[in-house]
Amino acid sequence: MNIIDFFSLTGSCFAILMLGSVSIRLNLWLYAIQTFFMALSTLSESFKFSNSELAIISLVIIIIKAFFIPIFLNFVIEKIKVKSDSGLIFPVPIGMHLGILFLGFSNLFTLEILKSLPEIHHSGNITAGISLLFTGMLFMLLRKIAVSQIIGFLTLENGIFLLGVSITHSMPLIIDLGVMLDILVAIMICGLFIFKISSSFEHIDVTQLNELTES
Amino acid sequence: MSIILSLCLIPLLSIFLIQILPRYTWGTLKVTVLLIWLEFIVQVLTLYPLLVNKIAPIPVIDGFMVDKIAILFILLTTLIMAACFSHSYWFFSHEFKKNNSISLSQLRIFNVISIMFYLSMIFVYCLDNLGYLWIDIELTTILSAGLVYFNRTKHALEATWKYFVICSVGIAFALLGTTLIYASSQLHGCHGSLNVSYLINQTQHLDLNLFKFGFIFCLLGYGTKAGIFPLHSWLPDAHSEAPAPASAMLSACLLNCALFAILRLNSIACLIIANMASLIIWIGCITILAASLFLLRQYGIKRLWAYSSIENVGLMLVSIGLNQPWLFFLLAFNHSLVKSALFLLSGNIMQITNSKELKDISGLIEFSPVMAILLVLSSLAITGTPPFGNFMAEIILLSQLLNLNFIYPFILIAIALTISFIAVLTHVGKITVGKPKINYIQLNNFNYSLIPVLLVFLSLIAGFFFTNKLFIGMN
Repeated sequence: MNIIDFFSLTGSCFAILMLGSVSIRLNLWLYAIQTFFMALSTLSESFKFSNSELAIISLVIIIIKAFFIPIFLNFVIEKIKVKSDSGLIFPVPIGMHLGILFLGFSNLFTLEILKSLPEIHHSGNITAGISLLFTGMLFMLLRKIAVSQIIGFLTLENGIFLLGVSITHSMPLIIDLGVMLDILVAIMICGLFIFKISSSFEHIDVTQLNELTES
Repeated sequence: MSIILSLCLIPLLSIFLIQILPRYTWGTLKVTVLLIWLEFIVQVLTLYPLLVNKIAPIPVIDGFMVDKIAILFILLTTLIMAACFSHSYWFFSHEFKKNNSISLSQLRIFNVISIMFYLSMIFVYCLDNLGYLWIDIELTTILSAGLVYFNRTKHALEATWKYFVICSVGIAFALLGTTLIYASSQLHGCHGSLNVSYLINQTQHLDLNLFKFGFIFCLLGYGTKAGIFPLHSWLPDAHSEAPAPASAMLSACLLNCALFAILRLNSIACLIIANMASLIIWIGCITILAASLFLLRQYGIKRLWAYSSIENVGLMLVSIGLNQPWLFFLLAFNHSLVKSALFLLSGNIMQITNSKELKDISGLIEFSPVMAILLVLSSLAITGTPPFGNFMAEIILLSQLLNLNFIYPFILIAIALTISFIAVLTHVGKITVGKPKINYIQLNNFNYSLIPVLLVFLSLIAGFFFTNKLFIGMN
């Protein structure tokens, strides 16, 4: 296993740990660490292929996604005073085990993908990307607090980025930066809406936002 | 370059104007309305020669391209936006008188955001690069969330949150799809590109499997934004909670943008994937059928039109599946005109009756005959009754389906259109006849029906003259 795969798989393991924790602040920390490892994996890939665009984008990820967004979301949860997010549907540990199961599935998917793409060697990177995608989706489905939904969305986006880095020779820089900017603005606006939800509904449980129905 | 300038100079100027003036007044709104109409005239003057003369698409800068269908959509969007802006002047002045919770600063924010939203929608049609397209469509989501949240109520907040989260996640899948398409263009020895004009000429070098996955993810992602059936749940909420001009903008302009992205992708996909047409047509059919069944049992007046929008999205998706951009434009054109008229009218009706529930609204013909007649005319138009443009577009669509041997989709669509015709007209009948309630408020009929009259009249003209000409001339 080379260093690129090591970093990205470590990142996906931290994401799975996120599925097993109910404390929102711990989840934010785990999200930040996972993003940091993902950026490290991208950075080492940029050194390997001496690709300066990848280096720039990984530095931008470290600054915006691994530092700025967690700090902002931390500010949000301190303002609205929520601490934990117990899971929905089934208990939290089962969610984590599902995450581990999906990591296995992602490896199977990767092997299947690699059969048709003989030119790509980093199987670990692709596995980590698909696993992050699944983890993000599970997190969004299994949690009910609005902040958790945002963290799940960000994890999903990390997975898409990692998958993009591993199967393309990096997307064009300007598109990556544009995507990052969009995500940043979207997260800021989500934060604003969370303030509004907590002040007008006195909770931020999104499963209870069900007043608009067909009646 | 001059095209891009002509598209964005005046809107930018009006944003600048609103921001720089120390106080926002009704006069500022009037000036912005005039500026948007001026923008429409400028666009007609600059873009019309391109529409008539040149045949090839015009590359502007790398990643930007304008072709005939894009020009038509740009003109349509500007027309609808100008109409919505003009109507919003009367709409909001009544809201302002009615309740004191709306302030001028709120209106200022609405005005700035809607112009930015308009700019982001215009650029969807000029983009050639799929990556830029994704960024722009995500931008339209972010900006239109501000429009949906205009009323600052609990319901508006819930609708905005649903809209924002569902569309963002959907669009994230479109990003995955875009990435996969980029990867598929890199594999077999050519340098990767996301430009549609480049990919169309390089189809033999694309990796088929990766492209297929990429296209399906993009279809799901942009389909969420367009409101295809299982992913439509945000659409009725957002359309019914936004103020009437914003609902009209969302329904008549934004849905076209998402479908246009699918059209661009389909122009590549139909060249290399064999069964893609039937997949898209079936998705469209199911959307039409589901929406027409939802239409039967509706309680809110704007939710009714939202489901009717979903039905029309299905029709447009079928036309995209048939790979007929002109037919798609025809459907979109007629739908946009009539649906914006319907949303604006429903806004007025809600102001008259002070309720958005269908059960509280009755006897409109006695209380406000002009509005009642307009409502009946435009609901006849949206359900595809003969003299209007929608009828022509739908009949062309159905005959094309028969020509290309899509028998089952043809039968399904015909049944669904009948169901929706009955459903919509039943609801509209209940609104128009009966006894009006006591607490209704009289509105100034002339101002409030000016824009809807214009839009319905345009649809009527389209039905009589342009449809045949356009279809025969362009095809």
